[in-house]
Amino acid sequence: MAEAHSVDNPRLLHHFRNADQQFSSSKLGMWLFLFTEIMFFGGLFVAYIIYRAWNPELFTMAATQLDTMLGAVNTVVLIGSSLTIALAIRAAQTDKQKMIVNYLLLTIFLASVFLVIKYFEYTHKFDMGIFPGAYYTFDGIDHPKANVFFSIYYMMTGLHGLHVIIGIGLMIWLVIRAKIGDYSSQWYTPVEMCGLYWHIVDIIWIFLFPLMYLIE
Amino acid sequence: MSAHHIIPMKTLISTTVALVVLTIVTVAVFYLPIPAPFDVVVAILLASFKATLVGMFFMGLYYDEKFNTVVLIFSFLFFLVFVGITLLDTMFRDTGISVW
Repeated sequence: MAEAHSVDNPRLLHHFRNADQQFSSSKLGMWLFLFTEIMFFGGLFVAYIIYRAWNPELFTMAATQLDTMLGAVNTVVLIGSSLTIALAIRAAQTDKQKMIVNYLLLTIFLASVFLVIKYFEYTHKFDMGIFPGAYYTFDGIDHPKANVFFSIYYMMTGLHGLHVIIGIGLMIWLVIRAKIGDYSSQWYTPVEMCGLYWHIVDIIWIFLFPLMYLIE
Repeated sequence: MSAHHIIPMKTLISTTVALVVLTIVTVAVFYLPIPAPFDVVVAILLASFKATLVGMFFMGLYYDEKFNTVVLIFSFLFFLVFVGITLLDTMFRDTGISVW
């Protein structure tokens, strides 16, 4: 009991045996959340698979409207941001307070670059009348269900983009707390959990890129 | 403890380099004339390998308690069940059958 009420670590909640158990429990909780995230995106991937199985030629034609180069650059940008948030966690583990902030700011910057590129991709399509569903007016793809591909495209990349925006919000919160010195090798659970979240966002894009941009 | 493993700098950098190289390979493979179903298979295999690298070294599953990996694998298995059972419907619809 003495350990459970330790004054050595004010972060330790009384219902955990020790800081390690508390950290592992948080991590397991985060992984269970990521499980639900995978199933959440899973529903859209299932829609993608069904419509591609039904209309393989549509997907080949429609993918020509997506810029492979921009997709590839965004993939590399997200991989880079995964590295920088991993380095932010490493800075917390090694008690480099200043570097936690710097790496988080770098991650926010890369996430913003991703969104800016996505913004240019979206507006370019909107200019041509490539809108989802009933609002689709583009006549460059000779297929009656061309709008279906872009409904799936906008839903999948849009939901992913929403996750990127939420990730930026979380990282701004981390920066504010890191600046007042909340994180150290003793306790950095929020940095670790945001890192896991950010990596799953990266993984989802790793699958979206070849499935959307690279169809022949 | 293992849960707080500090991932070596070398591991982080080489994982990043591997991911960037695999991205270039993914794009290069797209321009190769690979026949119909196999181009998708190759793309998915490459993406899965990249996702495994991110999971193992960036997310630290390689150093973690194995149960977290079990959670991830189960999410993938449930996704396959989701896809499989849905395709059993959508791939075998016969418009000739009268619907009750």
